[in-house]
Amino acid sequence: MNFPGELKYTKDHEWARINDNMVTVGITDYAQQELGDVVYVECNDAGTRVEQGGVFGTVESVKAVSELYAPVTGTIVEANKTLEDTPELVNTDCYGDAWMIAIELTDPSELDNLMDAGKYETYVSTESK
Amino acid sequence: MMKTPLFDTHVGLNARIVDFHGWEMPVWYTGIKAEHLATRKACGLFDISHMGEIHVSSQGATSFLNHMLTIDVYPMEEGEVKYTFLLNPDGGIIDDLTVYCIRPEDTYMLCVNASNKNKDFKWLVSHNNDLCLLKDKSAHTAMLALQGPHASNILKACLDFDLEDIDRFRFRMHTIPEFGDLLISRTGYTGADGVEIFMTNEYVVALWNEFVKKGATPCGLGSRDTLRLEMGYPLHGNDIDEHTTPFEARLSFAVDLNKDFFMGKDALIKHKNKGLKRRLTGLELMEKGVPRQGHVCLKKDKEIGVITSGSISPVLNKGIALCYLDSSITEAQQIEVLIRNRRVKAIVKRPPFVKGQIHKSG
Repeated sequence: MNFPGELKYTKDHEWARINDNMVTVGITDYAQQELGDVVYVECNDAGTRVEQGGVFGTVESVKAVSELYAPVTGTIVEANKTLEDTPELVNTDCYGDAWMIAIELTDPSELDNLMDAGKYETYVSTESK
Repeated sequence: MMKTPLFDTHVGLNARIVDFHGWEMPVWYTGIKAEHLATRKACGLFDISHMGEIHVSSQGATSFLNHMLTIDVYPMEEGEVKYTFLLNPDGGIIDDLTVYCIRPEDTYMLCVNASNKNKDFKWLVSHNNDLCLLKDKSAHTAMLALQGPHASNILKACLDFDLEDIDRFRFRMHTIPEFGDLLISRTGYTGADGVEIFMTNEYVVALWNEFVKKGATPCGLGSRDTLRLEMGYPLHGNDIDEHTTPFEARLSFAVDLNKDFFMGKDALIKHKNKGLKRRLTGLELMEKGVPRQGHVCLKKDKEIGVITSGSISPVLNKGIALCYLDSSITEAQQIEVLIRNRRVKAIVKRPPFVKGQIHKSG
């Protein structure tokens, strides 16, 4: 499984790419493998406020429904509309084209609550046992 | 947790294993969609050894089964398979099953749902006044399903067996030194042509490997579920149970009311004469979304039913579902499904949702 070093991770298996105060969010390689074939992605619209750990959307595979949790508090500035028609991108390019939302974060100190790649990998290996 | 003789083979194939009613079963190997499409376009191979096999024999067997099952057992011929039900006295479905006529005089096999096997067996034993012999051979019997347009070629290559030699819903015994005695049945739960094979546990790994070597795609229970849903085949526990009758579920083809008696008959007739309040039908979503069990169906804000099975059809790439709807709702009407807080438009459509290779389930 692939967990890029430049990203931060949540316990709920979202990744966060941080660019100054802009945070792009998606789900991890582990999450997409656990879900299997993703068939539906629904995210809150741009302009919606989200809380760290709060639900910002839903991802569904053939078999399962899973909520999406925001890694930081802030305002959604963009939701990836291409996933409405091509949800399978979550399986093929979870860290790239299958980004889900971009959040303008309000409190940079919240980033300390996220895991780095090494810590997340350990977390996943204990969870999958 | 129970395991089939193929458990290690599944793990070796990197299967995702889930708990299915106490059985550790593969839900998928590479992915549900890919396995689903492999079965529709080529050939899928399923380990369904968790299914139960109850053997009924001795002189009273035919009359006992005729008493317990909803179809007429007497006209069955050697090598014939029929889809039927065990009903409770209220006409509710204890289980749906297939009955195999091995010898019309005295020998039958019932293939029942894994999750209901113990309940079925107890039910049969408790009514066995005719002193026929009931044997649960599930623990020693393995079962594979080989399904899809290429199943015929693979059967020929692996077992020198001609699928076209048997009709749908017929079976034949076939003995091969490497694989022992096989009961090969032209049946299935996918809508694809193909067979289900019963055998003793010891040979099943070798036969599985042989089928895979000749091109069959290992498929898990995930695609087995989406395949049967595309055909509208009910799943006991979801779409039918002890509180639903075969008439509500539109499965009357497997009920013979001309028989003098069968368990549940009186209640069924009363139920039918009272008029059915709800009926099992299908939905095809007109918008994006995935209908799931428990989602409520609406017509003009009024609740008209509930979904019992739902998913995405990998062939249509649309949400499809089975649901019980108020009898006033007819085919081709537009309704709404409440998916979380979203109302999604759907069309009432009696399954099958896709054209299978075969026409009827029984």
